[in-house]
Amino acid sequence: MTSEQDRPAPSGARPETRRSLAVCALIGAAVMAAVDEIVFHQVLHWHHFYDRSTPGVALLSDGLLHTAELLGLVAGFFLLADLRRRRALSAAHARAGFFLGAGLFQLFDGVVDHKLLRLHQVRYGVDVTPYDWAWNLAALALLAVGAVLAVRARRRTRLPAAAR
Amino acid sequence: MIPPRSDLAAVSAHAHPGGGAFGAVLALAATAAVVAYVAAAVRLRRRGDAWPRPRDASFAAGGAGLAYASTAPLPGGPFTAHMAQHLVVAMAAPLLLVLARPLTLVLRTLPPGPVRRGLLAAAHSRPAAWLLFPPLAAVLDVGGLWLLYRTGLSAAARHDPLLGAAVHAHVLAAGLLFTAAVCQLDPVRRRWSVRWRGAALLAAGAGHAVLAKTLYAAPPPGTAVAAADLHAGARLMYYGGDLVEAALAAVIAARWYAATGRAHRRRGRPAALFRRADAPSSLP
Repeated sequence: MTSEQDRPAPSGARPETRRSLAVCALIGAAVMAAVDEIVFHQVLHWHHFYDRSTPGVALLSDGLLHTAELLGLVAGFFLLADLRRRRALSAAHARAGFFLGAGLFQLFDGVVDHKLLRLHQVRYGVDVTPYDWAWNLAALALLAVGAVLAVRARRRTRLPAAAR
Repeated sequence: MIPPRSDLAAVSAHAHPGGGAFGAVLALAATAAVVAYVAAAVRLRRRGDAWPRPRDASFAAGGAGLAYASTAPLPGGPFTAHMAQHLVVAMAAPLLLVLARPLTLVLRTLPPGPVRRGLLAAAHSRPAAWLLFPPLAAVLDVGGLWLLYRTGLSAAARHDPLLGAAVHAHVLAAGLLFTAAVCQLDPVRRRWSVRWRGAALLAAGAGHAVLAKTLYAAPPPGTAVAAADLHAGARLMYYGGDLVEAALAAVIAARWYAATGRAHRRRGRPAALFRRADAPSSLP
């Protein structure tokens, strides 16, 4: 996010706040998924590629989600480029969306993937409880940051409208 | 029926479906196609047509990859090498070949006559339209893979060279079909929206990822694969598939970006002129 985007969009182009938030939420979720795949699967080798206790439905949902993240990352960046090209990007909403998306993915991964579907655990061979807490609290922290940014972004776009 | 180890080692030498005579034929065909493509592109440019050079490079790389994977031994254990071959033949090479828009090139270079008419009729025919329906192409591609790895077909293809050649040909043809249906670069009867193509790519990618994970847990029935080889091969399938799927998504997205850009320019022209009226230079 460069400072160039912080300036209000030039007259004639209206910032699309909802779309900015949604597109960046998509990117945030996909980036978080990529970080998870790269850091915890590939670098640390904490997660297992496949946990033999995984049931079939969980495997299917994992495959769908994994591919959706991949396509979402590509689609998100093209949608973002489209917003910038049309000067319709609201940088404040974009930042809020990024954190909300990242937090939502992290929470989904921690609760649904790790606990409900039991695709894999955060780490093996240790007591996993503190790791689960850290994982899900990190998700809540990301969501909180996103929520604060979203409220601030909303205020910022409302004030000029009210002054007009 | 799990064949003994020594038998496996023996079949793995020609287990690559492309190994042997059929692989050599395929390699020759790929080389001939690349030569024909480049010759046609050169002719087109001499005539004064624009034909981007990256397309030549893409087609040549696809043909070379196909020829190499069909004949040369690939690194890794037998299963990992087989998977590497699968990635090149069914995914990477088709993408590079399709990106070069071979059908467009052929239609532009062929002189008017029965051959060109026949080709055009085939491209615009109803069966071709059905085959290029993205979800159907996805089922033919990924469904074929499930049959190959989750039934006795894989083991049977290792022992019967003819069946092996048929499997290899199907994998290539289905890869080409799916890539062409998703990218939709060449002129065909019916164009499908980004949603259809994206959904087909999502479903195919999910099917591919799930198959890779089940292969991690258990090899194809009737075959015995060393655990390390099986795991390496399954991971290669999973992450290699991701790479090509991301590239396919980028092709769809880039074309959407270009098309919406054109639409915006058409719609926004008066507004743009108005905005720029006070700017000193950039008015055309």
